[in-house]
Amino acid sequence: MNRALGGAVLAWLLVLTTSASAHSQIMGIGGVPGGVLHALLIPEHGMSLVALGVALGRQDHTARRFAALVFIVALTAGLVAIGLAVETSFATDALLAATAILGLLIAAAWLPPLLVLPLAAVAGVMFALDSPPEANSTDEAVRMLIGSGIGAMLALALLAEGSSHFRSAAVRIVTRVLGSWIAAIAILDLSLRIATRLATGSIS
Amino acid sequence: MKNLERIHLCPLILLLMTSPAFAHSENGVGIDFVGGFKHPISGLDHLVAMVAVGLWGAFLGVPAIWLLPVVFPLVMAFGGALGVLGVPLPGVETGIAISAIALGAMVAFAARPPLWIAAILVGAFAIFHGHAHGTELPVGADAIAYSMGFVIATGMLHVGGIAFGTLSRWPAGRIAVRAAGAIIALIGVGFLGHFI
Repeated sequence: MNRALGGAVLAWLLVLTTSASAHSQIMGIGGVPGGVLHALLIPEHGMSLVALGVALGRQDHTARRFAALVFIVALTAGLVAIGLAVETSFATDALLAATAILGLLIAAAWLPPLLVLPLAAVAGVMFALDSPPEANSTDEAVRMLIGSGIGAMLALALLAEGSSHFRSAAVRIVTRVLGSWIAAIAILDLSLRIATRLATGSIS
Repeated sequence: MKNLERIHLCPLILLLMTSPAFAHSENGVGIDFVGGFKHPISGLDHLVAMVAVGLWGAFLGVPAIWLLPVVFPLVMAFGGALGVLGVPLPGVETGIAISAIALGAMVAFAARPPLWIAAILVGAFAIFHGHAHGTELPVGADAIAYSMGFVIATGMLHVGGIAFGTLSRWPAGRIAVRAAGAIIALIGVGFLGHFI
């Protein structure tokens, strides 16, 4: 009877287990498409790309291209680093901080290239470091990292070029409201993360 | 004896059929977004003050119509961060009640101060609202979903105020908007009386 009880408890515990993931998995999608979705469907990532895209859209043509290049170089460096198993516990926090600053600058309609460039670099590196691939093999992990990079670059290019075409007064007002919302969400999210970490005593 | 063993097996079978109970849904997004969205609209004192910001902005016209709703969530988020991190702020509830009185009175009396004074006034009151919300935010919630719901609901309240405030283009609408301001101020007086 004790054996039956022990077996039943073991079976019950096994039934309860689920796999641990940094983010929710997208069932049935892996490789490059999985990497694209993995990077873009995380709200913090999407929000940072929107903020950076809008900020780049407000730059002149040369500055916009240069800032996009800085983002791509930083993103690639970050993806290589995470591919080499560099682990960070602060990537999401740093990405949120950069997003909050970008949101504030958009709300203030004051986007000097000297501020936007370093923010693009920080966002690129942290975006990559916050995209660890959930894969069972090295090949799959590399494909997912490539997908994350392609997804982020394409999304940023579309957002930056798209927003640069809309410069009417009404769009400028909507953009400033959007910037204030992005900054407010990033600040609240960041403070909640820090408070949760302090309350639970967890570092990561 | 066999029947007794079968009876003992029943709890085991039932145990195998159970599933774990969670305080929130597994992904947390739905309940936390909704929780964040509900938070600013669940208290009348917060609700009327945020509507008053939109009303006053619409009453003052461009650029206040968009500047005040830009200032409010930004400063509110800083106040919220202070509240979440446990930084004390004295007289929060009194400040919220006074915000409803002051902003409602501005609309009721059709006050037109310089834009920077209006922005500072709205920003100062936003700290109290943010701090109160931040103090009540549940630690461990799905932070991003909760924050999105929270900020979007605040923005919607401003938009509601602006929509109603645009009625002030017409004489009858102007009276309705000023009356709404007076009602908001009276609600603030009621809350202030409750806290004193």
